[in-house]
Amino acid sequence: MTAIGATRLERPAQGMARALGTLVLVMGAAAAALATLDAVPAWVQGEPRGVRKAASVEEAERRLKARLFLPAYFPDTLRWPPRAVRLVVEDTTSVALSFDGQDGTPALVLVQTVGGPGPISPMVLPEGPPLQSSPLAVGDGEGTLSRVVGEDGSIWHEVAWTKAGARLALRGKVPVETLIKMARSAHREGR
Amino acid sequence: MPATRWVDLAGQAIFHTLVAALVIEALIRLWRVRDPRQRLAFRLFVLCYPLLVLPLLVVLAPERASDDFREGRALFSSQRWDDLRFLGSGLRHWWVGVFGGMGLALFLMDLVPLLLGRRVGLPRSAPPVSPQGQAAAAALEGVARSMGLRPPRLVFVEDGGPVLFCAGALATSLVVSRAAVDLLDPKEIRAALAHELAHLDRLDPGVSWLLMAGRALMAVNPAFQVVARAMARDAEWRADERAAAATGDRLALASGLLKLFRATEGRPAPPGRRNLPLAAALAEPIARARALDIETRCRRLLGPAPAPLPHGAARLFAAAASISSLLFFVV
Repeated sequence: MTAIGATRLERPAQGMARALGTLVLVMGAAAAALATLDAVPAWVQGEPRGVRKAASVEEAERRLKARLFLPAYFPDTLRWPPRAVRLVVEDTTSVALSFDGQDGTPALVLVQTVGGPGPISPMVLPEGPPLQSSPLAVGDGEGTLSRVVGEDGSIWHEVAWTKAGARLALRGKVPVETLIKMARSAHREGR
Repeated sequence: MPATRWVDLAGQAIFHTLVAALVIEALIRLWRVRDPRQRLAFRLFVLCYPLLVLPLLVVLAPERASDDFREGRALFSSQRWDDLRFLGSGLRHWWVGVFGGMGLALFLMDLVPLLLGRRVGLPRSAPPVSPQGQAAAAALEGVARSMGLRPPRLVFVEDGGPVLFCAGALATSLVVSRAAVDLLDPKEIRAALAHELAHLDRLDPGVSWLLMAGRALMAVNPAFQVVARAMARDAEWRADERAAAATGDRLALASGLLKLFRATEGRPAPPGRRNLPLAAALAEPIARARALDIETRCRRLLGPAPAPLPHGAARLFAAAASISSLLFFVV
């Protein structure tokens, strides 16, 4: 084959390679733009990607098609409704209800799993080694009462237990007796 | 089906079409697709996407609607935008509403004049007994024969300004006015008639009704409306190329086009032709857009016929497959 013939044969292949390169570039740019758009809401809210927000407890229940555990005992020192309802949908979904105290500062988080007793996602309840932990009876089951570092850096109490196939945790800057009373009164509406 | 699911599906149809349109337009420019037939094929995929591909995705892959898919595998989940709220509603609902309104406005801008134009009907035809009428009939006969087509019914208009267009989905006709014959020289008349015959040969008036039906189905989809309009322009370019090839005189078509444009500039559209509502208020931007459109067409005709892009079908298939695969992960 002559050199001219070889050049002529290369051209269509080069053209196709360039066309393919352009397609890959455009599709890559489109995918990057979509991923960026997807990340914007979480970025605006200062939440990690994967954490979704619901407008209310009812909306979270509607979205999950499941009833959530709520404490029948709710002290006057806390504000109802929750300031934020956050969800992390994984194999086992985790839901966190964040409550403020009457002074408007974060005071309590109720976290629970839906769809199984799997671990609570650390995206809604940051894990940390408990400063102190002891067993605690919650209803018919066993739980733990711990002292942990709360979201404001001070010492909070935490009650964690399992009930009706769900793992629950109450972490708050409230008296420990209040926390235990709330944990023991937790129930699902309609049950 | 609950209202949220409808919002979800409408949002997907709007957003998927927008992404498909942007990607296809980027490829048309980067690949320098100049052949109007190929441009039409690429844009047709965008129109087919929400009408065929998305319904197939919804039916064949119902797991895309699940939370697991949205949270774990989706590249983009529009539901996340509902976490950001404005005046009590999630932003996703807002943008579906805004885009839906834009789509509806674009659709009505074309539908209303179309329906009004049908009520008015075509201009009254006169027997082509005048020298101009006979010249038009003879030119039509000759051009149709050279293109291997049967000449359509000639609607010759003695009064009014220069008009030359084709109409009719089933019973097609070609409307020519005496003023148009006076305005154009014989070469330009032949080129302009060849352009209209090319439209009729491709059944463009009927296809435009099909396109309108598709636009009605996707009335709230702005990207669909814009791409459908772009396809109408591509159809004009395709008819230009066919006419230029049939007459062998690209310059005659360009000068005929320019003369007709100058003669009709600022005049209301003749009966049977579309015009936009609020035309008076929009007169200037519409005139500018029309002038730009004519200028582009003339520039194209001053150059040689655009060569088809090599491996056009393979490129279209690759683009369609890539876009469909990407949008599978957009919910």
